[in-house]
Amino acid sequence: MPVSAPEPRSPLVQALKPGRHGAVGARQVTLRAYRRSLVQLQARKGRAADLATAVRQGLGLALPPPGRAETSPTLAAIWIQPSAWLLCAPYLAEGDLARSVRAAVGSAGAVVDQTHGKSVLRLSGPTARAVLETGCRIDLHPRAFAPGQAAATPVGHIDCILRQLDNAPSYELIVASTLAEAFVDWLLHAAAAYGCEVLPPD
Amino acid sequence: MSHRLASGGRLDRTRRLRFTFDGRSYVGHAGDTLASALMANGVRLVGRSFKYHRPRGILTAGPDEPSALVELRAGARREANMPMPVVELFDGLEAQSQNRWPSLAFDILSVNSLLSRFLPAGFYYKTFMWPAAFWEKVYEPLIRRSAGLGWAAKEADPDHYETRHAHCDVLVAGSGAAGLAAARIAAEAGARVILCEQDFELGGGLLLDPALEDWRAATVAALARQSEVTLLPRTTVFGYYDSNVLGAVERVADHLAEPPEHQPRQRYWTIRAREVVLATGAHERLIAFPGNDRPGVVLAGAALSYLRRFAVAPGKRAVVFTNNDEAYDTALALREAGVEIAAIADVRPAAVRADEARRAGIDVRSGSVVTGVGGGRDVERVTVARRNGADGESLAADLLCVSGGHSPAIELASQSRTPLDWSDAIAGFVPGQPVQRQRSAGAARGIFGVAEAASDGATAGRAAVAALGLGKTEAIALPPAVARAGTPSEPFWEVKASGKAFVDLQHDVTTEDIRLAHREGYAHIEHAKRYTTHAMATDQGKTGGLVGAAVLAEARGESIAAVGMPTYRPYASPVSFGVIAGHAVGKNFAPVRRTALHAWHVRHGARFMEAGMWMRPAYYPQPGEEKDAWLSVLREARAVRRAVGICDVSTLGKIDVQGKDAGVFLDRLYTNTFSTLPIGRARYGLMLREDGIVFDDGTTSRLADDHFFMTTTTANAARVLEHMEYHAQTVWPELDVQFCAVTDHWASMSAAGPKARLALAKAVQGLDLANAAFPFMAVGDAQVAGCPVRVFRISFSGELAYEVATPAGFAEPVWEAIMAAGAEHGITPYGVEALGLLRIEKGHVAGAELGGHTTARDLGLERMLKKNGDYVGRVLAGRPGLVAPERPRLVGLRPVDPKARLRAGSHLVAAVGDGQSLGWVTSAMPSVELDCWIGLGMLSGGEAWHDKRLFAAFPLYDEYVEVAVTHPHHVDHENARVRA
Amino acid sequence: MHRIDCPWCGVRDEIEFAYRGDATVKRPEAGAGVDAFYAYVYERGNPRGWHIEWWHHAAGCRQWIKVLRHTLTHEIRATAKAGDTVTAPKP
Repeated sequence: MPVSAPEPRSPLVQALKPGRHGAVGARQVTLRAYRRSLVQLQARKGRAADLATAVRQGLGLALPPPGRAETSPTLAAIWIQPSAWLLCAPYLAEGDLARSVRAAVGSAGAVVDQTHGKSVLRLSGPTARAVLETGCRIDLHPRAFAPGQAAATPVGHIDCILRQLDNAPSYELIVASTLAEAFVDWLLHAAAAYGCEVLPPD
Repeated sequence: MSHRLASGGRLDRTRRLRFTFDGRSYVGHAGDTLASALMANGVRLVGRSFKYHRPRGILTAGPDEPSALVELRAGARREANMPMPVVELFDGLEAQSQNRWPSLAFDILSVNSLLSRFLPAGFYYKTFMWPAAFWEKVYEPLIRRSAGLGWAAKEADPDHYETRHAHCDVLVAGSGAAGLAAARIAAEAGARVILCEQDFELGGGLLLDPALEDWRAATVAALARQSEVTLLPRTTVFGYYDSNVLGAVERVADHLAEPPEHQPRQRYWTIRAREVVLATGAHERLIAFPGNDRPGVVLAGAALSYLRRFAVAPGKRAVVFTNNDEAYDTALALREAGVEIAAIADVRPAAVRADEARRAGIDVRSGSVVTGVGGGRDVERVTVARRNGADGESLAADLLCVSGGHSPAIELASQSRTPLDWSDAIAGFVPGQPVQRQRSAGAARGIFGVAEAASDGATAGRAAVAALGLGKTEAIALPPAVARAGTPSEPFWEVKASGKAFVDLQHDVTTEDIRLAHREGYAHIEHAKRYTTHAMATDQGKTGGLVGAAVLAEARGESIAAVGMPTYRPYASPVSFGVIAGHAVGKNFAPVRRTALHAWHVRHGARFMEAGMWMRPAYYPQPGEEKDAWLSVLREARAVRRAVGICDVSTLGKIDVQGKDAGVFLDRLYTNTFSTLPIGRARYGLMLREDGIVFDDGTTSRLADDHFFMTTTTANAARVLEHMEYHAQTVWPELDVQFCAVTDHWASMSAAGPKARLALAKAVQGLDLANAAFPFMAVGDAQVAGCPVRVFRISFSGELAYEVATPAGFAEPVWEAIMAAGAEHGITPYGVEALGLLRIEKGHVAGAELGGHTTARDLGLERMLKKNGDYVGRVLAGRPGLVAPERPRLVGLRPVDPKARLRAGSHLVAAVGDGQSLGWVTSAMPSVELDCWIGLGMLSGGEAWHDKRLFAAFPLYDEYVEVAVTHPHHVDHENARVRA
Repeated sequence: MHRIDCPWCGVRDEIEFAYRGDATVKRPEAGAGVDAFYAYVYERGNPRGWHIEWWHHAAGCRQWIKVLRHTLTHEIRATAKAGDTVTAPKP
């Protein structure tokens, strides 16, 4: 008899222990790991318009243009490459998001499950931008980067998909799972000067 | 004896700071630098010079200091070559003088000074040429002992350094009148402004005039109120790069004994600026005359700074030597502070300020120069004479203030590729037409005077705002202009009199050295610089660089404009290695990439090895194997050959390929065909570079008609993806193909060995592993422990093997389930070392054979080259040189003596001592199947040598091992096991 | 350090890109023969001046882009998508 799959293990469970790190002060940031289903969606040759329609009708979301993310209550789509997006939703069951996206897009797009390949973190608080500026080379100033904007860019030594969620400011950082522990190691170090509260995983 | 004035200065006299210099205790105040505090304590001899070990004092009041360099702090925080005038005093500071032995006052090597006629420019090049072996063993240690600067700490740096990436609309370098005005204009227009100031106080020259304090304080306060303005004191802009990117170092905690917890010692700023204003001020120039390096010789502007800002009288009785009006301000200020003025020697025949000074009772000698300095270790007497040498008079004085005029600080402008124009008005180079989005302002472009500089800074600020398109700018209050009659300065570089006249105090370069360089053919400024070491090292010749150029110009009989300055490059001021490295030191040097099974490997005692960024288990030592890694490796490999082993192969690159043309795309990337691959089957593929050389290999499986799953070697995963993107995007953009890396989504493990099926069958649900149902190269989906898996029947070891891939979050339960299922068969985890051993036994090629120099034919893989259809590398692989029969081909190697060891890297020769290499050993390991060492090699002639004997030569160890040449497949030549 | 205006992502630091070289060479047709492929792989003009070159936005959108760069001054005058045409100014 098939047994049901156990909860998948995130590399961040080991690396990201809840609690305070670094300086204690009022200007600290919070850091939290998020369990997400992730899917890379890429338009078939010449089918970008069909794909956009299919996603709008089937998933209730407009696929965003370069440099932007679109969100619905249950789904986020982040532009990562020409005609390619990363879709992100709360993890419910193994393969759930890939199945529903595949059903929605049919032959208009290639769907690749990346749920285990990428790890999702959120950094939030008044000094979050200052923390990221120790490793992020793009301009995160409110005049240049705002909620709804996204970028693929290295942070420290590690390639990231970065998007701003709100004006706290809060940033979502998506990194390769095999580098997630190294990334968190770097991020906690970067945040030490301001202090960082690691929250239990979402 | 205190030289501290009773009042004045920008000191907090209520805060007394204790510090030591060469072990002696002194007291200074908050607001002091190490230089001002030592001067206030009457310390004048602070160092010995680089080559001649001449006594040296404090020449300047800023980062242009050539002489007063110290080692700061002790132990792991010891730092060498710190210019005293930029060392902010803190309580408990420890400083040591440099380049003296045994003590500063009595330096044995000052005998070099007496030998100086034997130590001219280029001396090292000429003397220490031969014999070459002497250089490393004799000459260099000798030179390093006798000539040099400070010593670095040997311990690891306990502090950490931060990197900061910044973006701004306007970067202003320098916070004098020009910089403050420019920043204020830009800030009022709403620009994002970063203002960098190397000093710990903002204001530059404004700090020297109490009358300007109100304007300075109000402007700084107005800037501080703007939320988009970042004020960075203690921050030196050291480099101006392409695309308006500038580098700066902020000395966050250098003014403290230790950085506060969690705070960096220094911060490295990379600033991307839309517009830049360089308000870097000017460097006061020395004049070359005999004895111009003696303690007690101070630049006139620096003396004013010590008086006004630090409330220190640098002497009791002064001579002022000048070619310009500004030095008169110093003379008057000195007199006001109670310092007697013995005389002012003004090279100009007449000057308005000279007349004024005479009316005030000062002995001004127009048309006069200083021809010599007398005294023991510091200035006691100064000889002043007419410019023609007449009427020389030796005046008692303990202070000689010198001003040769001012050179705009053009380092950053020049680094930004701005050409340098000669200005006769100031006898110096000024920045020409900017190339990048940048402009200089104030003294940095030869506009002297506070009001003039502020006005120029405001203009520069408005220009920056206009370039940004920010609209109208507000008017701001500027310091009032002071109309004053003056006399132009007269270019003057050198007093030709008997004795050493230095153009570079840091490297002991004299005017004679420059002329010698010219005589010996090093007449280009770049050659003269390198031959004499002029204008190098920590101060980069800020005080004497132009003087040296002027001496060279005279020797060449040309103008200074024609001679020019050596190219300015970063770093304009020294930068510590620590801040360049930042966080990337020790274990954080590069990120570590861990497989999803990493924690399991750690718990089971694996020894790890690096493979690129990856950490991979090399082997898993068991009790009793700790002393000999071979025991572990051989045990693990034996388990695979005789029972079953399991290996984490998650690091292999994995790429998901989809699209109508996916098969066609793969056919063009690989030398063999994938469009014909049945669904549910895998195939080994070989990829060439376009030049015909083997690039990578791996297995690719077909999951659906338009869906493939590709694997690459661990080492080439990133390169292969880039190669695919290049071809898909630029060469064949018409193909309907979508692909992306899924390396991290899948964990994969290889279960290999004759018992692999027995072990796996117990763990795998939903897939019949029987040979007929799931043959070699089959692919199928299944579950293990309730987790989804994909099983590939592929083998690297040459045994019956299955690769089990699972979404990475399930790696541990899947691995554990297979371990449990295989326990009764003795399943053994094996690492990369055993994996390497097994593939050498099997004759499979890996990194050592795929090193970017081998063709498919070299590796015995010519059957992989399809006859029809285009693929990358097809045409050039057929070039005569790449198909020549004499090319080395892959062979197997075994020592004739079963106890002999084979060494990778050995050359294959026909006889002991033979110098003709026929090939080389690429990989070698002890075999578990054959009970001897085995190897793979590349051998000219290839299979013609099978069953013949050669020698594996390793001359470095005088090793010659007789080897038998074999087929590369040391085990299971028929490939029966993988199909069992 | 360059700042390169990726036509997809906007201006990014050079560190995000990998350089390949001349973007004006075209891979010959399959049957073009050794000389044509030799030229494609090896023969380069190495101009002193404007150069149209491939850069790969490896740490960003993974796109190969064309960059018009001056080999003497390092000035970057234009960037374009892989399929777009870039013309070098007259020397």
